[in-house]
Amino acid sequence: MLILSRKPGESIVIDGRIIVKIVRLEGDLVKLGIEAPVEIPVHRQEVYAEIQKNNQEAMTNTKASLPRLAVPAASAKGSKNKAAAASNPASPKPSVISEPKTPATRV
Amino acid sequence: MEPEKKVATGENHLRLPFGLLGFERVKNYALLTRPHEEPFFWLQMLEDAKHAFLIVSPFIAVPDYEPEISQQDVDYLGLTSPADSLIYNIVTLRGSGPATINLKGPIVINRHTMIGKQVIPNNAATFSLHHPLPVS
Repeated sequence: MLILSRKPGESIVIDGRIIVKIVRLEGDLVKLGIEAPVEIPVHRQEVYAEIQKNNQEAMTNTKASLPRLAVPAASAKGSKNKAAAASNPASPKPSVISEPKTPATRV
Repeated sequence: MEPEKKVATGENHLRLPFGLLGFERVKNYALLTRPHEEPFFWLQMLEDAKHAFLIVSPFIAVPDYEPEISQQDVDYLGLTSPADSLIYNIVTLRGSGPATINLKGPIVINRHTMIGKQVIPNNAATFSLHHPLPVS
């Protein structure tokens, strides 16, 4: 690992397009400012790692059997939350999975 | 027709240009549903139909869920109002326990462009990675 010494206000440049600036020190906290192109996601490592792990655990296939929800789907549509209205699952018109003609093999 | 290599077009083709975290190279998904499985949906990898993620509206589990999407992500997705967006969260099926939903990493989709991104909201620390689904 490359280790560089920097003072508050100083920066490093990565690949000519990513700038990491030491904004200030607050006790044992280092405040970093990061300028990166929009196509380069920047995340706190521990949050990234736990979501990555969860995604890996969640990967399955469309033959998996699903839990039965206690809350009927209709009640979510009636939610007062404006974002809930925005995510009405009926709107994206997903395609319906056609059932295989041959019996599905469970793995 | 080649059922195993079905290419989704139009409304059911979802593009995730950043992939999902840990699956950055997989950018094209089919958004699928079976009527009897609603409100669940599937995000099936277009290049590898054997692999899919189960997703559901987070409001099924947490009616007052309010992830704060960063301005950078709002701009990237081209969202001008909440009505432009769809939000789904990934479900983890667990053989020996209730299924859970990841509230820390919602998938936010621009419903007009069908381009989405798994975002980490500014207030992600207040949400559970393994929130139990309300099962009967």
